[in-house]
Amino acid sequence: MDFFSFVEGPLLWIAFFTFILGSLIRVALFLSMSRKMDKIVYQHFSWKYIFATLGRWLLPLNRDVVKNPIFTTLGYVFHICLVIVPIWLSGHITLWEESRFEWSWTSIPDGLADWMTLIFLCIALFFLLRRIFSANIRLISTFSDYSLLVVTALPFLSGYFVTHGTLDNVAFLGDNMQLIHMLTGELMLILIPFTKLFHFILFFFSRGVTAVEFGRRGYSI
Amino acid sequence: MSEEATAVDTEKMSPKEVNPDQIMDFLKSKMGARFKMWLKICAHCGLCADTCHHYLASGKDPKMIPSYKVRFLLEILRKKGKVDRDYLKKVYDTVYYECNACRRCTLYCPFGIDIALMISLLRSLLLSQEMVPEGLAKAVENYKEFGNQMAVTKEDWVETLEWCEEETAEELVGLKIPIDKKGAKIMYTVNAREPMFYPQDIMEVAKIFHVAGENWTFPSKSGWDATNLAMFCADGKTARVIVENTFKCADELGVQQVAVTE
Repeated sequence: MDFFSFVEGPLLWIAFFTFILGSLIRVALFLSMSRKMDKIVYQHFSWKYIFATLGRWLLPLNRDVVKNPIFTTLGYVFHICLVIVPIWLSGHITLWEESRFEWSWTSIPDGLADWMTLIFLCIALFFLLRRIFSANIRLISTFSDYSLLVVTALPFLSGYFVTHGTLDNVAFLGDNMQLIHMLTGELMLILIPFTKLFHFILFFFSRGVTAVEFGRRGYSI
Repeated sequence: MSEEATAVDTEKMSPKEVNPDQIMDFLKSKMGARFKMWLKICAHCGLCADTCHHYLASGKDPKMIPSYKVRFLLEILRKKGKVDRDYLKKVYDTVYYECNACRRCTLYCPFGIDIALMISLLRSLLLSQEMVPEGLAKAVENYKEFGNQMAVTKEDWVETLEWCEEETAEELVGLKIPIDKKGAKIMYTVNAREPMFYPQDIMEVAKIFHVAGENWTFPSKSGWDATNLAMFCADGKTARVIVENTFKCADELGVQQVAVTE
């Protein structure tokens, strides 16, 4: 088996398994530890406050929208593109159709996917530059803040190059862009459960426990 | 926080060596899944910066960003508790003088990270190493011994109420300051500074209750001090006793409401 076939086959399985199993295990660890250590959250547990906070913060109905409208808008658009493009891209859906699962669902128009990718990359670049040039953000930034932003942006950048053949005339990169795209995507999937990218799940837990904490005093956040 | 605690700039510092195992045991027993999650997921986006009055009042000093202030917790864990007194002094300066646990940053954090709770955990950790602002340490001792922060004895408290009643009754004939009146509707509590320094506040409140015709009372037992300074140095045990005292009085007197004016 050549390297391409390995990346296309077994490594993809490994990546998905790490992502899914790792996420499940981490959730289980969180729940079992919080049951033991964070009794106060369970004593005052309230779906009312949890749903209220999740609604406000999944939709742009929170106080950051008013206080920092530009940054908040960029944050929302960034995350919407991040979730929608990889799942509903026609090129990806075709691969699912050809796979052993033969799964299929409606795709978004390719033109829209292109724009969303470009907008996503621009926002990622803005976040990176902000981290480098703002004294405030630089002070609080850690290595993982920089590197995970790059890890997240690379599959999109390489995906755009694959789709448009932008770098086809460049030595090595031109020949291997599809490989790079798969590798960077797999890297991101594998890293999710082990890094702060796991906030895609912990967002719900973190908002939830704080909503309970404020809710027990009758305040909905 | 009342002024006697903040005005004191010197602090009670123990000269003894820091014991890393003790620090780690303490953190292990207190750090639930919430704390670990918050330390891991903070995206360092900086949205908390200008929600903090310490940040704004310091001319936007980046060191005042709430997310930055709790880095100590992560550092202490990474170093497995192997920190020295100078390091803890830095933690002390931050958690006592650069954050007053108002929780405003939490309201603007996309993850709802409870910075104040982590600051409180650090204060509690410092308490376990005997690092507490002197004013708070003294108040906590007073709570433990006398049930109130100003070390007012039961005799002094009752006597103060009695002469307050006498003096005020000269102005409003028939005025009473009821003590331990069972079945009263309202049990009134005060800051312990009032009997010590501002008895006129007690007299004025008595006038209002008298004119309003309220059925009210003061408890004579510990529980009449509405302040809880133990909470500020994250001394959970003492803080709990203080609250329980008030509840006990309310139960014994069978009141319907407890008025807390602090």
